[in-house]
Amino acid sequence: MYTIELNKVRKSYDNFVAVDDLSFNIEEGAVFGLLGPNGAGKTSTIRMMIGITVPDAGQIQMFGEPFARKSLQRVGYLPEERGLYKKMKVIDQLIFLGQLHGLEAGTARQRAVSWSEKLEISGWLQKKVEELSKGMQQKIQFIASLLHDPDFIIMDEPFGGLDPINASLLKDVLLEMKQKGKTILFSTHRMDQVEKLCDSICLINRGKSVLQGDLKQIKARYGKNNVQIEYQGDGNFLQQSRLVSSYNNYGNYVEVRLAPGADSQQLLREVAERSRVSKFELMEPSLEEIFIETVDKSDA
Amino acid sequence: MRNVFLIARREYLERVRTKGFLFMTIFIPGLMFGVIALPSVIATRMSGSKHLVVAAADLQTAQLIREELLKPAQSGSKTLDERDQAGASRYSVDVETDVTDGARARLIAKVKAKQLDGLLWATDDALAANKVPYFTRDVSGLIDHAVVQQSLSRAVHRRILQEKGLSGNEIDAALKPVDMEALNPAGIGPSNPVTTFVAVLIMVMIMYMTVLFYGSNVMRAIVEEKTSRIMEVMLSTANANETMAGKILGVGAVGLTQIGIWTVTTGVLSAPGLIAGAEVLKGVVSLKVVIFFPVFFLLGFTLFSTLYAAVGAMVNSEQEGQQLQFLVAMPLIASVIILLQVLQNPATPLALWASIFPLTAPLLMFTRIALDPTVPSWQIAASIALLLATIYGLMILCGRIYRIGILMYGKKPTLPEILKWIKYA
Repeated sequence: MYTIELNKVRKSYDNFVAVDDLSFNIEEGAVFGLLGPNGAGKTSTIRMMIGITVPDAGQIQMFGEPFARKSLQRVGYLPEERGLYKKMKVIDQLIFLGQLHGLEAGTARQRAVSWSEKLEISGWLQKKVEELSKGMQQKIQFIASLLHDPDFIIMDEPFGGLDPINASLLKDVLLEMKQKGKTILFSTHRMDQVEKLCDSICLINRGKSVLQGDLKQIKARYGKNNVQIEYQGDGNFLQQSRLVSSYNNYGNYVEVRLAPGADSQQLLREVAERSRVSKFELMEPSLEEIFIETVDKSDA
Repeated sequence: MRNVFLIARREYLERVRTKGFLFMTIFIPGLMFGVIALPSVIATRMSGSKHLVVAAADLQTAQLIREELLKPAQSGSKTLDERDQAGASRYSVDVETDVTDGARARLIAKVKAKQLDGLLWATDDALAANKVPYFTRDVSGLIDHAVVQQSLSRAVHRRILQEKGLSGNEIDAALKPVDMEALNPAGIGPSNPVTTFVAVLIMVMIMYMTVLFYGSNVMRAIVEEKTSRIMEVMLSTANANETMAGKILGVGAVGLTQIGIWTVTTGVLSAPGLIAGAEVLKGVVSLKVVIFFPVFFLLGFTLFSTLYAAVGAMVNSEQEGQQLQFLVAMPLIASVIILLQVLQNPATPLALWASIFPLTAPLLMFTRIALDPTVPSWQIAASIALLLATIYGLMILCGRIYRIGILMYGKKPTLPEILKWIKYA
């Protein structure tokens, strides 16, 4: 059973096609990454899923039925554009948003209190939103999107602007949700997070799907053809090497893709001749590299 | 509907709880009181009782002027009545029959030295020339001068008639003002035209002011929603029309609460006056007016709030809104201009059509109903039906503008773009 199914969904503004015949499904209980560079159409896609805008063409099914507004009571949405009523007390705000999602005021209050204890902000419930730091506001909004215990959770850049401690706090909550069988959609361009959390992904560029499927399978498809090298000295020669098909310098280390048929041991000898190698590791390509390569290819 | 209610309630509670609301609730009546009551309070205080001297060669003339000045309220035109009431007890008047230049210089010196407040120099020459000098330090005291002048005129007329040999009763009869009653061809007229006129004008002004004031509050509420960037969360649960309706109802209810507080307070404070006033009003304000004032007030209020909400949805900041706000206020201003004509003649074709056209109907249909008891029911019904239809259509239209407009930041939309939004959504 799919939580959401998009079938050839299309949305254009004026002459600009934001989403171009996009299709994907998210299985119930899966953590799904909707990836893509800035302006690829991630937010436009999400907005159609939750009925803020209407697709020009194609169908969207949610919980196995054609989209209907009442399904939204089972959806929790954290938009990328964060916003709360600044002059409103935090607790009142959470109760209000909970009520809009169909909760009774009492239930909403109870849940808001227990969530705020969990996310270590219970001392701030009586404050006005404008008195809170950005990170705290983000936690409030995070709570607001989960207050009504939704079955489908949509998170648009959920960790943006959070310090590592709070980011990991939220990540743990989301993993807990996954264990409870909730379906989670991440929209992000932060690949490291996706790699840690997602079961499957859809990578979109210019409104089109350019890569999708099970994350492990995708990575396996690229094989262990990547080498991560840490060294001292000038590594620029690697860019010219016939053994290397692509090259990425991350500052502290470089990641290269072996050219078809190239021998990794030969590359190691080449590198060792010219610099002091402290690490040389054969590995699957990182999602980031797959991302960059796929996007470059589809742009070309 | 639940969402509309929730949004409206939030809007209402958040606004009513602010210090700003409390301040405005107290401040506005305070200001009104200040503007209306303070000057007259100050005037009474400052003037206290005024000491005048009436100088005339003819003792009888001088005494007649004195009598008129000291006379309490007299029946006649309403407005002058009020002046008399305020002024009557305020004068103490001495009579002087020495009209030599020496006496004149001496009395003027007294005025200058603040021993006297005024000197009315009613010599035979001055009376014959129909122009009597009045020496006072305050040459621009309009109300005061009107009272003195009127007393002078009446005294002089009375003196002339006396000299013709008429008796006191005959003179009273001759000087009695004649009333006129305005009737339409059907022979019906308001029982008290001036008061009706004033009452209608006040009601129309209340309507106009509240719509302008609270309407722009709706606009601000929508802009706030945009600048706080919360609408994406809101739209993921409530649709644009619900949000729109909730905002308008919530902010509107705040306005009505404030007006309610003022009305009740005024009512309680002036209860004794009100009971007496009710008798007067009974003849002036018909049952129709009592029924239709709230009807057209609410319709007008909702209509213009919806328009303001649309402006709010189109703009990114209040400053941008200020410019467009003018467009929304235009029909209101046009209403007031047409109103001036309707007040003179509630039965012209312009009055008819303007009172049915939805954007001008709230003010003008109400005015017609109040002034002209013969307005056919079908016209009233048509006006109300058109208003309701317009409000409904505008809400949907504005909801569309809102839905797209709020998701686009940064750029001020052009008219073609707005039309496109309406089509898209």
